[in-house]
Amino acid sequence: MPDPAPAIRLRRVDKSFGAGEARIFALKQADFEARAGELIMLVGPSGCGKTTLLSVLAGTLRADAGEVEAFGRRLDGLGQAELTAFRRANLGFVFQSFNLIPTLSVRENVMVPLLIQGASRAEAVRRADAMLAKVGLGGREDGPPTALSGGQQQRVAIARALVHEPRLLICDEPTSALDKDTGQKVMAMIRDLSRSPDRCVVVVTHDHRIFRHADRIAEMEDGRIRRVVDDPSTLDTPAS
Amino acid sequence: MYRLALNMLFGDRAKLAMLLVGLSFSALLMAQQSSVFFGIMSWTYTPMVNIRASVWVSDREVEQVNDAKPMRDTDVTRVRSVDGVSWAAPLHSSIMQARLPNGNFKLISLVGIDSDTFAGAPAVLTVGRIEDLRLPNTVLIDEWGANLLGRAVTRPDGTVETVPLGVGDTFELNDTEARIVGVCRVKRAFTGGPFVYTTYDRAKAYTAGVRRTLSYVLVEPRPGVTPAELCDRIEAETGLRAWTSETDLWTWGERSLARSTFWWFWRNTGIPFSFGTAVLLGLFVGIAISGQTFYSFVLENLRYFAAIKAMGAGSGLLARMLLLQALAAGLLGFGLGVGMAQAIGRVMIEKGMPPFVLYPQVLVATLVLVLGISLCSALIGMVKVARVDPASVFRA
Repeated sequence: MPDPAPAIRLRRVDKSFGAGEARIFALKQADFEARAGELIMLVGPSGCGKTTLLSVLAGTLRADAGEVEAFGRRLDGLGQAELTAFRRANLGFVFQSFNLIPTLSVRENVMVPLLIQGASRAEAVRRADAMLAKVGLGGREDGPPTALSGGQQQRVAIARALVHEPRLLICDEPTSALDKDTGQKVMAMIRDLSRSPDRCVVVVTHDHRIFRHADRIAEMEDGRIRRVVDDPSTLDTPAS
Repeated sequence: MYRLALNMLFGDRAKLAMLLVGLSFSALLMAQQSSVFFGIMSWTYTPMVNIRASVWVSDREVEQVNDAKPMRDTDVTRVRSVDGVSWAAPLHSSIMQARLPNGNFKLISLVGIDSDTFAGAPAVLTVGRIEDLRLPNTVLIDEWGANLLGRAVTRPDGTVETVPLGVGDTFELNDTEARIVGVCRVKRAFTGGPFVYTTYDRAKAYTAGVRRTLSYVLVEPRPGVTPAELCDRIEAETGLRAWTSETDLWTWGERSLARSTFWWFWRNTGIPFSFGTAVLLGLFVGIAISGQTFYSFVLENLRYFAAIKAMGAGSGLLARMLLLQALAAGLLGFGLGVGMAQAIGRVMIEKGMPPFVLYPQVLVATLVLVLGISLCSALIGMVKVARVDPASVFRA
């Protein structure tokens, strides 16, 4: 049976920063594919272009050249407003430093993607509370995120990333600010909660301890995907 | 999102407090200084408020009510002869020195009114009767003047207390006795001296040696004739200057003597410049403090704004959120500032100094300026947020 069509596809993507002699190529003819229903990890040494690749496929950064396609739609030709609308409808983010707004309650933080989409406040409250219950934070909705532990804050971030049921979940170093056990639990939660036949999860990480949660692992080097490993158990050492 | 935007602002109490300090101080300075300005300016045409008549006739050279040019007594008769005049009465107005029983001298504003009609008499007498002005050497004095000219009395415990002048007390005007027969309540004047009312003829006696003592002719039009129409007729027939007596800053007409007085003081004194500087200072301080604080608030929240942007919020939504935050802070700052201005004003009004008139128009102007400051602050933040790269959220 042939492989399913990729949900995300990058073809010969270039991205550079600076100009003249100071120009640095972050991506050089990079190809990348991620399938619906899978959790793929992007690994590689610092400066290899992981974050740039993540930004390009999230539509927050424009490639200089090449094709970027997500769910059958070319992103490289879209205008700023269309890209913003695409992110609003299709993307969820889990950030390394959580990026939870400290002056809002836990519930309000989770409501943000829904409110951006135009959901009513009542609907947003209902869905945020349900999502917080799923990540085990029922009863903590009204408190500030700063009152939670690092692991709990990342669970709030996961709830925020999934509450609007995005088709693409992007996780940037989701465990780097957490201890080993908490990191494992958070990664397991990302894997369990985001598992859906229509959803694609891309995780950028340096943390080899969480490789086992991946369906596939793409190794990057010098702005390119060096290899894609289909069996993560064969990669038990740090990639960097 | 707008409610969350407000919660973001109100959740950062330190920043909010700093913002409110800047905005409320600005609103306070602008409202309070404007109110004192309008209060002082309202004192400049106090005689128009205290002496009620629909039309005031003066020498042609008069520009403001405190600078009366003497006219001939016969001008009263000439004015009376103008068609449309119901009655016309003489008025004397001058600054004099009063010699008190203790030998001190104080400046007073002497007002001489017609003894037959008492036209121009104070509306409120707290003590005495106006008719007693027909008795020899009698005067009315205003409440504030009664205190100012009062005598100091040492109490048995050593404290010194001022006993205000009252009915029966005397002082001297130009070596002539002035016996108080009543105390009136009038608005205080820019010139600072108390008002002393007497009859027109006695005012002539008090100012013995002055050839012309007629300052104004007070006139009332017949029914069906407007003050402005009558002014035209008086000027055409007598060659004198005729003024209407509206004292409301916002509705007075071109012919109002109060209006002419207001603008004379505006042009010829440093009052507008002085208070204008204070108001501008309030504006700049507000812009500086709240602009800087709001910018700092935006900077601190920039990564959250970037995250919200990455999640799909457009720059327009973020700009509206910032605008709402700034305007909410502006409204709160306005409320606090104007509240403080009102409280200070209440104390000022109770003390009678300095004058304080808080017009609704001043409130509206202050609100507009404070919201303008907020808008400036928001614009600074909007530029920053519009430029923030959503990809920056991936750079921890």
